[in-house]
Amino acid sequence: MTTLVSDTAALLERCHDAARHEGPAPALAALADGVLPGLLPCGPGGHAVVAAPTHAGAHALWLDGARRPLDPARTKIRAELDLPGGRVVLLDTGHAAPADRDAGAGAEPREVYGLGLVWLRLGLAQALRAACFTRLAHRRVGDSTLLQQQLVKGTVADVLAEHLEIQAVLSGARPGDLSPGMLDHLHGRITAADREQVRLLGAAGYLTDSPGLTAYVSELLAEAYAAAKEAP
Amino acid sequence: MTHLDDRLLILRGQIREWGAQVRPLALEIDRDPEAVRHHFALPAVRHLATMGVPEEYGHEPEKIGGHRFYGVSALERAVVMEELACADVGTLVASPGPLLAGVAVGLCADDRQKRWFYGRVLAEPLWTCFALTEPEGGSDAAAMRTSLTSTPDGGALLSGEKRYVGNACRAQLGVVFARARPGPLGITAVLVDTAEPGFDARPLDMIGLRGARISSVVMDRMPIPEDRFLGRHLTATRRGVWAFVQTFNVLRPGVAAIAVGIARAALEYVAEHRSTLSGAERERYEELVRRVDATRHLVHHAAAAVDARGTDGHLASAAKLRAARLAEDVTLAAAAFFGPGARLSHPFLDKLARDARAMEFLEGTGNMQRLNLFQGLLGGKVDRDRRRVPADA
Repeated sequence: MTTLVSDTAALLERCHDAARHEGPAPALAALADGVLPGLLPCGPGGHAVVAAPTHAGAHALWLDGARRPLDPARTKIRAELDLPGGRVVLLDTGHAAPADRDAGAGAEPREVYGLGLVWLRLGLAQALRAACFTRLAHRRVGDSTLLQQQLVKGTVADVLAEHLEIQAVLSGARPGDLSPGMLDHLHGRITAADREQVRLLGAAGYLTDSPGLTAYVSELLAEAYAAAKEAP
Repeated sequence: MTHLDDRLLILRGQIREWGAQVRPLALEIDRDPEAVRHHFALPAVRHLATMGVPEEYGHEPEKIGGHRFYGVSALERAVVMEELACADVGTLVASPGPLLAGVAVGLCADDRQKRWFYGRVLAEPLWTCFALTEPEGGSDAAAMRTSLTSTPDGGALLSGEKRYVGNACRAQLGVVFARARPGPLGITAVLVDTAEPGFDARPLDMIGLRGARISSVVMDRMPIPEDRFLGRHLTATRRGVWAFVQTFNVLRPGVAAIAVGIARAALEYVAEHRSTLSGAERERYEELVRRVDATRHLVHHAAAAVDARGTDGHLASAAKLRAARLAEDVTLAAAAFFGPGARLSHPFLDKLARDARAMEFLEGTGNMQRLNLFQGLLGGKVDRDRRRVPADA
């Protein structure tokens, strides 16, 4: 079990807070700067979802624990999205993580980064909840608001219960405490709850300048950094 | 992650051991809930019989690993409930003890009332009941019809009907909610001795959780002495509705823990009876284990929250909501590991699936919990403790 140094707890909290109150880019930047300064954090398939300054300032790849030189010729920028808090870049570096990456010192940063990503996505999900709440509280239906409709209340409560459970699992967990399977499970729960929330926004949640876009990026974060599954 | 301290881990280990003696009773208690009377000597049943009686009222439970456990904290009860529900939820709910009524007494009774109630509970194993729900209005306090009519000696006559009250048909003591006067502050709770004239309770035939002997109750001009009014030393706002809201807040993590225990029992059954699983089955099984683990964290978090502040019930509602659904989902998913007709071939699995359904309405339906949660969110309670994480490691 990894020992939690005090600044790791502070980093996770900063990451969660930034995601919740500022947006994905500041949170991703805080996580990358705190765990992998100067590197481009990539998942096992060589994909990255990072803040624009992290991409611009990287001098090497970090492939799920292994360092490799940058290879601009193979790197494809899939999208650059302007979201609340700043620009996020979606990349495919064309390099998959090597199979022997656990041999080096890659495990600990991977554990911190992996845990940080779940905290980060929870923060984004909570921000989405606040955005939905505000919008639904102002949308009128008859002589009431959408928020006061029983079905809407029920959905809001289900999402809240989901968030509270995820937070209960994360609270106090140190890097390495939660298995990759559990982190994957939490990502799946966040994605499912986000989709429930976005549905509450109707077509408005489908606009690129809506919270729906942040939810989309949040899903891709889980996609890019998912633990590699063993072959069946 | 709410970590259990060493003390609670010791308790969990002991209860798990005691639970192994209870598991073989599962189908017997399901068939005949009164059969529990033959098993009062089991350590698990003995533990439940006094769980919740504070030390200062003469409770001296046997030491476990050098510690005494009084069952007065929601977190401790959650640990016990999960383990015994996993062993057999029927025996857990069939066992005598002060549980729901005891929590209400702990929150609202004056010292004399506590001495009377706890004294009776410590003297012999006896059942208690907590009668709130009514046939027409459920647990809606505004619609409560059971009445207390004052008598010249300062007491009252209790009349009305209650429904879905666990163990009422065999309870010797109870806490009954009734209306003493109109208005929201007119609800009060009284302690009843069911041997007094005017109390009649009969078991309802339920599909599952049969050990609980869920009953209907009719009270006809039952004399209630003045000193049996619960919380008579408290202000009117601290009795009645406040009392049952608080009681439910404190109890809900325990009910949620029961649901987690049922889900775990189903998974243990799969592990025991399906020694080899295919790759896809193994993945499905492990995902269910993760769901159980995640919900347990929420249950423990909720229990710790109500222990710290009894008014913080929104987490308990979230835990109850999640755990009840978990129990239903996992018991059905467990049956799917055994192919067509599994619940007919495996009566224990069928019992778990039947028992799990009760988790939906016990201590408030899922929709009630959703409304509680929504109100918690609207009232700004939900994020009050946000700054405590994740730095509380």
